[in-house]
Amino acid sequence: MEEKDKGLSRRKFINDGVRLTLGLTVVGTGVFSLKRSASGKDYVWQIDPVKCTQCGRCATECVKSDSAVKCVHAYDLCGYCDLCGGYFKPGAKLQTGAENQLCPTAAIQRRFIEEPYFEYIIDEELCIGCAKCVKGCSAFGNGSLHLQIRHDLCLNCNQCAIATSCPSDAISRVPADKPYIIKGDFTSEEEG
Amino acid sequence: MKKRSLTIVVLVILGVILGVIVIDFLNNRPDRRGENPYALKVDKYREVDPELISHKETRNFSLGVMIPSGIFYYKKSLYITGNSSLVVLALDGSPADMHETLPHSTCLAVNDQYIFIGFPNFVAKYDHSGELLQKWTELGESTVITSLAIKDNYVFVADAGNRRVVIYSDQGEVTGEFEGKSETEAGHGFIVPSPNFDLAVNSFGELWVVNPGKHAIENYSDDGRMRGFWENASFDIDGFLGCCNPARITVMDDGSFVTSEKGMVRIKIYDQSGQLKSVVAPPDLFKEEGKAPDVCVDENGVVYALDFDKDVVRVFEPI
Repeated sequence: MEEKDKGLSRRKFINDGVRLTLGLTVVGTGVFSLKRSASGKDYVWQIDPVKCTQCGRCATECVKSDSAVKCVHAYDLCGYCDLCGGYFKPGAKLQTGAENQLCPTAAIQRRFIEEPYFEYIIDEELCIGCAKCVKGCSAFGNGSLHLQIRHDLCLNCNQCAIATSCPSDAISRVPADKPYIIKGDFTSEEEG
Repeated sequence: MKKRSLTIVVLVILGVILGVIVIDFLNNRPDRRGENPYALKVDKYREVDPELISHKETRNFSLGVMIPSGIFYYKKSLYITGNSSLVVLALDGSPADMHETLPHSTCLAVNDQYIFIGFPNFVAKYDHSGELLQKWTELGESTVITSLAIKDNYVFVADAGNRRVVIYSDQGEVTGEFEGKSETEAGHGFIVPSPNFDLAVNSFGELWVVNPGKHAIENYSDDGRMRGFWENASFDIDGFLGCCNPARITVMDDGSFVTSEKGMVRIKIYDQSGQLKSVVAPPDLFKEEGKAPDVCVDENGVVYALDFDKDVVRVFEPI
């Protein structure tokens, strides 16, 4: 009889333990969720353009078939040059023929403003986030072209596939109320 | 027996799953990925024909904790500004003098009497003992002073922020300014997309100003009328590429130009008409996508490059 009581007591102990653990988990999750929504601090993935090394993985690693990473143009930094290293292939003629364009999807449009200025506009529908133009702009220009994760396209995965494979740790979570790291904004942020 | 077989099968399956996970993890490590299919290959443009190289790097002068901003050669000495100081080095790199200056200097020019130091929006005049003689009137909020050059009693000041050259007397009075515009098609005016806007006066007294947005070097009269120019926008070694190049220039005694470029950093020598004479330092000697070194040259053709990526003076002697 004593043996049976001991057995029951052990089973009861385990059952109580499981119930307590489950209860704590549910309560803990609830409290965490409430706290997070009360603080309003949501986070999203973003690329730090200073750390980015233009490895090309943003185009190939994103879980979306058209990457959520797009090229962004900081017009404040742009030199509006005729010979743009982000638009023309090295050594190409300064003509807008496809054979002279650096972008593999012709996602950059070149528009004449006035002699000798040209404006370069990104067509986001065509951009695949390969960073080829970013490399050209960084190597030869002012670095006004850079990559950003577009939050109207990003699924905000729990673990970003691009962040996992980024060789320079350029992708991290940033507060959702400041979701972009735009190059031209650095000085205004510092002043502010 | 049946239970044992089942255990073996389960273990084998677990082993396979574990193997796949490990192999996938190892193959997907950031440093084990294949070649970037979108890589922009610019190595071809970093290579320079050895026949073109005229100088060899022989020494480096460390500047210690100083973060330099400009270098100027004058009478067997190197004058270097940075932080809140002016350092004078002998040509063997030994320190000859050091003076405290106002903070945030950007450039300098030296003559027998004075040392003129440029700051973001004003110029200050020092004597050779390091005493501050005058702080000239500030030029305005959007002013970014990037270079100074002296001719007789005048100081030409390159203002990148307003895309103009301001002419001062050496007593600090503004006597004129010009934006490089003329009636001809060539005289578009200075195009300065970033604070890389240099000028120099050569031994013949000619004022040469870089028009970086046009990859041009333009000659002006003392009152700012364009007299001539040469330009060469090209990816090839004989031209200037990208935005704002040549970012820095200096002049040799025979009137040749020593040019320094940013992005694909390289230092070259051009004759007065813009023909490439030689390459002082090819891109391989500098950081990829680096800053343009400030340059100066002595009577023997030795080029001193102030490398802002390494904070050292690099000495290139003719081969």
